[in-house]
Amino acid sequence: MSATKRRNRNPDQPRARRNTRAEQTESFANRVKLHRRIARGSASRLLETPASSLVTLFVVAVALLLPALLFGLNSNLASLLAGFQDSAQVTLYLQDGVSEVDGQEVSESLLTRIDIEDAYYVSPSQALEEFSAASGLEDLLQEMATNPLPGAIVLTPADVSPAAVDELARQLQELPQVDVVQVDSLWLQRLAAISNLVSAIGSVLAVIVILGLFFVVGNTIKLAIENRKAEIRVIKLVGGSDMYAARPFLYTGLLYGLGGGILATLLQGLVLTTFNSNLEVLMQLYESDFQLRGFGFRSALLIVVAGAAIGWAAALMASLRHIRAINP
Amino acid sequence: MIKFDSVSKRYADGREALSDISFEVSRGEFAFITGHSGAGKSTLLKLILAMEAPSSGQLIANGVNLNRISATQIAHHRRQIGTVFQDHQLLHDRSVYDNVALPLEICGYQPNDAARRVRAALDKVGLLKKEKSFPEALSGGEQQRVGIARAVVNRPSIILADEPTGNLDPGLSAEVMKVFQQFQSVGVCLLVASHDAALIERLNCRTLVLKDGKLLADQKPRPSL
Repeated sequence: MSATKRRNRNPDQPRARRNTRAEQTESFANRVKLHRRIARGSASRLLETPASSLVTLFVVAVALLLPALLFGLNSNLASLLAGFQDSAQVTLYLQDGVSEVDGQEVSESLLTRIDIEDAYYVSPSQALEEFSAASGLEDLLQEMATNPLPGAIVLTPADVSPAAVDELARQLQELPQVDVVQVDSLWLQRLAAISNLVSAIGSVLAVIVILGLFFVVGNTIKLAIENRKAEIRVIKLVGGSDMYAARPFLYTGLLYGLGGGILATLLQGLVLTTFNSNLEVLMQLYESDFQLRGFGFRSALLIVVAGAAIGWAAALMASLRHIRAINP
Repeated sequence: MIKFDSVSKRYADGREALSDISFEVSRGEFAFITGHSGAGKSTLLKLILAMEAPSSGQLIANGVNLNRISATQIAHHRRQIGTVFQDHQLLHDRSVYDNVALPLEICGYQPNDAARRVRAALDKVGLLKKEKSFPEALSGGEQQRVGIARAVVNRPSIILADEPTGNLDPGLSAEVMKVFQQFQSVGVCLLVASHDAALIERLNCRTLVLKDGKLLADQKPRPSL
């Protein structure tokens, strides 16, 4: 029997065929509509119990805030360090017997080296003048019979990386006129090491926080599934897959992560504003206009997206595990 | 369509709910399962729905071997079966409409298409006016009919019903049976557990009699005069 004949005989036939196709493949728009409805359902369920939802949201937000703040402060520290890096200086304190003329000579010969950007000689008397002006101990210093300060050469290395500066210092220590080599950037190196430590702590904390979030969100989802056991049983009985039954809970996890992430960026802004007003006073004393910077849009987006992803993944793990255990 | 081949079901506590059951129900056939409570009627339906696995013997329903079936296959298998549960199994936080629409939503029907089918199913059980109500606001009989509408809405190839007329008066029971017979006439295979002797007598269908987990008799319908 040809298709045309059949259609003539039964006008309902083409429609019936279209329906079977609908059973097998969900259209994209249809899917989006369904998901929107499920997401709305999950959101309204969260609003039904505002107190407990808010508590979970805050727990997620605070958990995200801790590593975020640590990374944020560290990135500020790093940018502060970068500003100081250019001013790395090496001071050569000369032997007592080296005369001013000899000192000048050594200083000029150092200028010919390619690994030295700049060098100038500071005579013992110049040094005394500067020291007494800076320290406010003029009276005391005038009492002294001889100048206790040695002559010095202050130089700026061409390459300011810690390794290059160390190598330069080692070479200069070999010069017969040099008594002590002092690398001014040593404290910078220490600060850089501390900064590295802080970021390492931040990474460990981030891992702990992710595990914690999995636990918190997973547990919340577990309770939600427990409360809706009867509904899941019915869905499974009429042929809904585990994934179908899990969808509303995935949206719940996603919303917790998303909301927690947004809350975390807001809290972080609050913390930075509080810090900045205190920091301003300190920085004025140092005549610096340094300010803690927020994460900016990209970092804030990263927190929100990370929160949402963790929430969703935690919900996926928890819901599939607990839904699978429900046998109608 | 449904084929039991020496199927037995033993529970972990050693109780044998079904022993050595063999029968076959084909397309477009309407069969009752009857017997005292505890005879194994519900267990038999649960086996077909893959809620339980047979302990021994072979069970094939709708071309699917239910002895070896995975979790995802179970979900797909249940979509081809409309089931009327004795305890209704409705979602109490969804309206009558949404309850009936659930199997269609699971299969991914277009909302317009689904609406048409849901209304047709509700019309068949006489509950079109109650589509916005919630199950708790309905009587036991009405809830039962919502369950029936949900069982038939997806045009399944097998309909299983466990005491579908338990809460219905004779008039409504006859209505529901008429709906079932309509599906029978388009090739659906129906298996109805009931102990409503009068109804079974009147409908004159094939009847499987269970007693203590054994198939006591397989009565063919009386030839019409």
